[in-house]
Amino acid sequence: MNYIVKKVLTLIITVLAITILTFVTFTVIPGDAAVAKAGVDASDEQLEALREEMGLNDSIWTRYTRWIGGALKGDFGYSYQYNNVTVSYLIKTRLPVTLMLAGLSLLLIIVFSIPLSLLAVKFRGGWIDHVISGANQVAMAIPSFFMGILITFVFGLVLKWFQPGNFPSPSENFWGSVGYLMFPALTVAIPKIAMTVKFLRSSIEKETKEDYVRTAKSKGNDEQRILYVHVLRAALIPVITFIALVLAEIMAGSIVAEQVFTLNGIGRLLITSISARDYPVVEAIVVYLTSVVVVINTLVDILYQLIDPRVRVS
Amino acid sequence: MSENRSTTTVNQEARDILLSIRDLTVSFPIRDDEPEIRETILDHVSFDIPRGKVVGVVGESGSGKSMTSLAIMGLLRETARIETGSIDFDGIELVGLDEKTYRGLRGDELSMIFQEPMTSLNPVMKIGPQVEETLQLHTKFSDAEIHKRAREALENVGLEDVDEIINQYPHQLSGGQRQRVMIAQAMVNRPQLLIADEATTALDTIVQARILDLLREIHEKSGVSILFISHDLNVIRRIADEVVVMYHGQVVESGTTSEVLDHPKEAYTKTLVQHAPDVDTLASGHPILRMEHVNIFYDDGFSLFKKREKEQIVKDLTLTMYKGEILGVVGESGSGKSTIAKVLTGLNTCYDGLITFAEDRPQMVFQDPMGSLNPAHKIGWIMTEALRGQKLSRAEKKEKVIAMLHAVGLEESFYDRMPRQLSGGQRQRISIGLCLLTGCGFLIADEAVSALDVTVQSQILELLLDLHKKHGLSILFISHDLNLVRHFCHRVAVLKDGELVECASAEELYRDPKSDYTKALLAASVAKG
Repeated sequence: MNYIVKKVLTLIITVLAITILTFVTFTVIPGDAAVAKAGVDASDEQLEALREEMGLNDSIWTRYTRWIGGALKGDFGYSYQYNNVTVSYLIKTRLPVTLMLAGLSLLLIIVFSIPLSLLAVKFRGGWIDHVISGANQVAMAIPSFFMGILITFVFGLVLKWFQPGNFPSPSENFWGSVGYLMFPALTVAIPKIAMTVKFLRSSIEKETKEDYVRTAKSKGNDEQRILYVHVLRAALIPVITFIALVLAEIMAGSIVAEQVFTLNGIGRLLITSISARDYPVVEAIVVYLTSVVVVINTLVDILYQLIDPRVRVS
Repeated sequence: MSENRSTTTVNQEARDILLSIRDLTVSFPIRDDEPEIRETILDHVSFDIPRGKVVGVVGESGSGKSMTSLAIMGLLRETARIETGSIDFDGIELVGLDEKTYRGLRGDELSMIFQEPMTSLNPVMKIGPQVEETLQLHTKFSDAEIHKRAREALENVGLEDVDEIINQYPHQLSGGQRQRVMIAQAMVNRPQLLIADEATTALDTIVQARILDLLREIHEKSGVSILFISHDLNVIRRIADEVVVMYHGQVVESGTTSEVLDHPKEAYTKTLVQHAPDVDTLASGHPILRMEHVNIFYDDGFSLFKKREKEQIVKDLTLTMYKGEILGVVGESGSGKSTIAKVLTGLNTCYDGLITFAEDRPQMVFQDPMGSLNPAHKIGWIMTEALRGQKLSRAEKKEKVIAMLHAVGLEESFYDRMPRQLSGGQRQRISIGLCLLTGCGFLIADEAVSALDVTVQSQILELLLDLHKKHGLSILFISHDLNLVRHFCHRVAVLKDGELVECASAEELYRDPKSDYTKALLAASVAKG
């Protein structure tokens, strides 16, 4: 358990370091939040008054301690682009969609890539293998915006399985929103499934060449049992890292999928906030994103402890 | 097939034969993309394994000894093809046997243990389930019965703390323990034939001796027939009742162990038996290296939450080496011998005490020549690298490299080859050439021939001796193999747990060892005579 305490400590230090870094970065880069808020027509006096009001004239250290003090309580201040809307409110309303999308995408990736890889290995060199690796190439090559358009066209316009642009609110119609999200999730998942299959397949291939597989054969195991009992577990270990990276990426909000399917998620919020120089929102999102990445990495490390005895710390 | 092959003197009719191989010929495609251009790996191999006997197969790698064992187990690669011949196992013809019946035999009647127990056990499966698996596949026992039998099997191979071991993973065990686990899982179903393919090669001398004793003991208790494959004649001599000598896929000679090894008839067997190189030059008396009260540590590295920890590997070592001397350093793994090499070459700087060199730092020849040559470059490029510090024109450099290729016994054409196209012995020649190219007269050979076959091993040792004589090369020869050190070195230093146990001339050390540890090492060493 000592190990987990260490991990959590590292996690906290990392996030703190990142907040300082973002804070400093936003102070250094050009652009005036007061101008962004008041508009370019504002007079110098108005701007000066606004800067004073927003606390922009204080030293960076004062501003940082004020900000971190609020952030620890979940108060990231007010958004610049929307009047009288708190940053926490904005994130709170956008986060569920992104999280649901991420969850569904991850589910699709796991549900499809493991059986597909096993099929490809089982019929190694056969037509199934060729079809799978061909489809992989295509899935990886298609740009995701086009994949989104394609899915919208096929499932939304031709088959009419969902109404593009009409996303039901999760709080009112949960299953309806899940049904809608399946399609953007597919858009996110398909190229990732292709990558995972490619990776897992070669990982399985590599494991089947290991000495212990020969030992398993010498004990009288059949191919099937060798694959499921001996090879798969070891082969999944490196793939977990890969899937974790993918998860961190989709938790950040798939900007393309959110845009194409008009979902109000974190990705879109980030884009609009950057263009509007809405620094409080951007900073809060950066904290969220880094925390996600660090937390996922920590979880993977802990998961490794459970599945790979070789990294277990005594 | 050679006509002078079958020299078995035992009357075959009278013997109870468990496994009989006749005219077995196996071929492989030379390249994977051209399946019809084939190379014969086994060439009309015939020999018998009598019931209840230990038959040793000896030969260098590529002689077909491992292929023979894989053919018996039906574990040849898919691209291999059995061209002719038969393998009769207790009345069952194994050649062409359907896969399902074969699976029923594997692990039940036929069992196998492999060279490298670490990689041959599943790294992410506990020991208990790995042993139990053999029973699950072939018996209908209850879980409790399987558990009980697996435990017994582990106890029978001399493992202590079985309760703990069944819940451990392979990496938590020592090499010797792992090989015992392998034997337990191979023996748990009481097979009729146990095949041990280089089963002790990867182990330290002492562990090797214990595993051989164990196999012998299991053989005597259970009556299991054993096919024991090794390149090491001393090991074969210690365990086998009968010997089959293989060379280039053919059986050269076979018969009882004493017949074949003490009175070899064939030329190849004779060279195999007398492979040890001789030593006749002596050291100069000028120190080339002095180590005084040296303590070496292993640095745990920096961690955010842990204090830097130093583990002491070598304790208070005082040793002098003379110019033109071949000094052997022996000890089991973990005794600190490689650590010394690292300090001397500057790879580890975490030590205290005094180390002085009379000349430049030594150059190092590593155990694994494949891993230490850049796979992405040609030999010429790799060797020219060693000349980078010297101000020479490109043509002069090439000339020097080619001269060095000749010096280490290789042709000029090797200049344009890639490391993967070379055999282990050739790669080790390149490694030696690399060291000498830097103009250095002091080599450290860290288990430099351990990974090589006996004959190649002796060729490389001959090369080192030759260079030693011609150029007065000083060599610090690190090895776990007492037999090699004895014949190759002037003086030998024995290390145990990082401490110098004794240091004496090779002759003296072997004739009259002073410390108990050296005596134990010598007794355990599978040397004969």
